[in-house]
Amino acid sequence: MTDPHMDAPLNEYADGTLAARDRASVEAHLAECAGCRTAVAELRALVAGAAALPKTIEPSRDLWATIETRIRQPATWNVQRFWRGALAAAAMLVLAVGIYRLFRVPRSDLRVGEGQGWAVVQADFDRASDELSRILAVERERLRPETVALLERNLAVIDTAIAQSRAALARDPASAELRRFFAAAARQKVELLRWAARVAAS
Amino acid sequence: MRVMKGCLVLWLALLARQSTAQAWIDERWPLDAGGSVRIVNPFGRIRVLGWDADSVVVSARLGARAGRFFAAGDGHVRKLGVDGGNGEPAELEVHVPRGATVWVKSATASIEVEGVDGTLDLSSQEGGIRVVGTPQDVTAETMDGAVEVAGGTARARVKTVSGDILLRGASQDLGASTLSGRIVVRAAGWQRGGTGVQRGKFESVTGDVRFEGELGRGGVVEVESQSGTIDVRVPASAVADFDMLTIGGTITNHLGDAHPKPRAAGTGQELRFSTGAGGAQVTARSFKGSILLEPK
Repeated sequence: MTDPHMDAPLNEYADGTLAARDRASVEAHLAECAGCRTAVAELRALVAGAAALPKTIEPSRDLWATIETRIRQPATWNVQRFWRGALAAAAMLVLAVGIYRLFRVPRSDLRVGEGQGWAVVQADFDRASDELSRILAVERERLRPETVALLERNLAVIDTAIAQSRAALARDPASAELRRFFAAAARQKVELLRWAARVAAS
Repeated sequence: MRVMKGCLVLWLALLARQSTAQAWIDERWPLDAGGSVRIVNPFGRIRVLGWDADSVVVSARLGARAGRFFAAGDGHVRKLGVDGGNGEPAELEVHVPRGATVWVKSATASIEVEGVDGTLDLSSQEGGIRVVGTPQDVTAETMDGAVEVAGGTARARVKTVSGDILLRGASQDLGASTLSGRIVVRAAGWQRGGTGVQRGKFESVTGDVRFEGELGRGGVVEVESQSGTIDVRVPASAVADFDMLTIGGTITNHLGDAHPKPRAAGTGQELRFSTGAGGAQVTARSFKGSILLEPK
């Protein structure tokens, strides 16, 4: 786990945009903090992965149909789990990239790209969130009924919070504070879905 | 006929005995003073106690259908627990060397740890987690259970979905996150052996967050909630920079004379003031909840 106060510096450090005077202190911290070293490695992998992605990711209809068919087939349990796991991983990557972009967009770009970058980030979040929800719907029979009820109750809570942040952002799209609230709620949802997927898998 | 009746009674008696049969486990293994212990018990209760001995001792009580007890490992790492059960609870009490690293996982079983000074990594789906003592590092996650960390720790990271979080004692670096649970932090200062909170980050979506206690010199405390109430209580003599903002709620300040003012952009209020130079930094952000700042 990373030090929460290091999130922003680590993002900038991984991007190579951290000011030289701050770089030394971050490197000193990294020398002593294994969690942050891991986070930097993950961030760099994420950046590399994001750079390698096409500008738009349109899931192939044919591919999804094939996956859907395979999920419904009485195939071996492991094959089904593999595809669900792969889809979850893909969805998580899209979510992570979206949220990462959310934090790393430079201030100047926020104003210029209000209608572009921000909308793309939110669309990424929606798409990945839907994807994970679909996977969970398939896996839900593996969860205890009490867990499913709890999950649904809290997903409703977080969805309400996200909707409220989104509505406020629509009125004031340049507000850094509102972006922070949206990002925090989106992160909570990611973590909840990740947790549920992990429990279902175990 | 009488023989048949007798057989039936005997069979029923054996069945009843089997259904209530419990297994008792008492085992002991040597373990390094700084060794690792991994414990798994899905249902029931797990109690971990630190002691001044270089060994692990487990006492377990398993219901008839609680599953199978297992243990493996060596003098550096010991793994033990219960698997293959059908939901019936098992109770584990495990003594570990005080400086051990302890990893515990459960589904609904509650987890209690006392007197362990090493690193704790505790995870439950729905069980409560309670830590008492002065562990070096605590990571605790549960979906629905409550989490309490009492005593003092150099570093704690606690996460729940709907469970309440209570952190109390002389800790330095605290992080707590919940979706709909309530967070309460009671941080002890130097009078009680602590240095005040040096770093604290507490965030919720709908749950209330209350921070009460001493601030470390130069410490940084951040509190954020989407719709819960934020309540910050620090000593009236605290030296700190305060930075409060709510977009849809109100700010009430009983700590000084500073008054909140309307946000420059849109609705809400903000309040910034300082009670001296070189002190702590306290930041509170709420989307639509209220913020209350008052003396402890």
